[in-house]
Amino acid sequence: MCQLRGTFKLMQRFFRSVTLCITLISLFGCQTLHKRNSLYQQFGGQAKIEHVIDAFILRIGANSQIIHYFSDSNISHFRAGFINHMCALLEGPCEYNGDSMVQIHTGMNINERDFNLVVELFINVMTDAHIPYQIQNKVLAKLAPLRSKIIEI
Amino acid sequence: MFVTRTVIILCFISLTAAHVCAKTLQITDQNGQPLQGAVVEIEHDIAMAADTTIAVMDQVGKRFSPRLLTINKGQAVRFPNSDDIRHHVYSFSKTKPFELKLYAGTPKAPINFEQSGIVVLGCNIHDSMVGYIYVADSQSVYVSNALGNIELPDFTQRYTVWHERQARDISERIEFNWPIRQRHQKIIITTSVPLPRNTFGEVFKEHHGH
Repeated sequence: MCQLRGTFKLMQRFFRSVTLCITLISLFGCQTLHKRNSLYQQFGGQAKIEHVIDAFILRIGANSQIIHYFSDSNISHFRAGFINHMCALLEGPCEYNGDSMVQIHTGMNINERDFNLVVELFINVMTDAHIPYQIQNKVLAKLAPLRSKIIEI
Repeated sequence: MFVTRTVIILCFISLTAAHVCAKTLQITDQNGQPLQGAVVEIEHDIAMAADTTIAVMDQVGKRFSPRLLTINKGQAVRFPNSDDIRHHVYSFSKTKPFELKLYAGTPKAPINFEQSGIVVLGCNIHDSMVGYIYVADSQSVYVSNALGNIELPDFTQRYTVWHERQARDISERIEFNWPIRQRHQKIIITTSVPLPRNTFGEVFKEHHGH
C-alpha cells in the first residue's frame, strides 16, 4: 500500500515537472517566435537602424530649413540616443534610457511645417534603405503618438 | 636720468591716489597676438578672508555664461539654466568631476569646489558649449583684458598663468618669476588651435556657407 502511494507521488511529481517543462518550452518558444517576427527584426535589426539613422543625420545636416534646431547638438549623443530609442520603440532587445521626448523638445518651439519636413526626411531615408512600405508604415505608426510630445512645446 | 627722476616723482605723487605704479603684465601668444582671458594667480603669504559667496555659472543661449569663472578653493557654484531647453553639464576634470542634468525651470543645488585647479565644463547635449572654472588657491587672481594686459599689485613676485588654449596640459598653471626692478613684463603663452566640435553646425558647415 505504502509502496503504491509512493509510486503515485513519484508519478505526480513527474507529471508536474513535465507540465512545467512544457509550459517553459512553450513560453520560451513563443518568445523566440515573437522576437523573430518583431518589428525590430522586420526592419532589419540593429545594423539597419544604425544605417538609417546615420543617413538621417546626413540629411538633417544638409537641410538649411531645420539645421538650426540641431546646430549646437552633439552628433554622437543624438545618434546613440536615437538608435537606442528606435531599438526600444520597434520592440528590439533594448530599453530606452534617455530623456523623455517632452524633456528633449521642451523650449525648442518646433513648428508643424518643420516637424513634417523631418518626418519626410526620415521616410526618404527608410525608402533609400529599401525598407518595404508596409514596414515603414508600422514604424510610422509607432512614431506617430510622439508627435504631441515633440512639437509646439 | 631725467626721465627716471620724473617717473619716480610721478609715481610718488600718484601712489596715494591710484595704482598707477602697479606692475603691468602683457600676455601674448607665440604670434604676438594679445591673449584675453588668461588667468594670473599670485603666490603670497598674506592672509585674506575666504570668499564664501555662491558664484554663478549660467546657461544662456546654449553657452556657458561666463565662459570663464574664477573662484576660490572651497567656494560653491550655482548652475542655473536661463535657457528654455535642457542642458546636461559635466566635468571630467580631476579637480572636480560631476554631472548635472539641468531642465528648464528646475534648479539644482550648488556644487562645492574643495580643490584648487582647472575644471573644464561641457554639455553632453550641446557639444559647442565649453566653459571653465578656475579654482584658485590664493585670493589674488586676475584675468587679462582684450589687449592681453593685467595690472598686478606691487608685491607680485612669483605668479602662475593659465589660458584655455595653452599648448601645455589644460590643468597646468605655468610658473613665472617677476624680474627684480621691472615695472612692465611681457610673456608669451604658446597656444594651440582648439579641436573642432562634434556638432551638426560644425560638421555640416560647408553645406550652409559658413
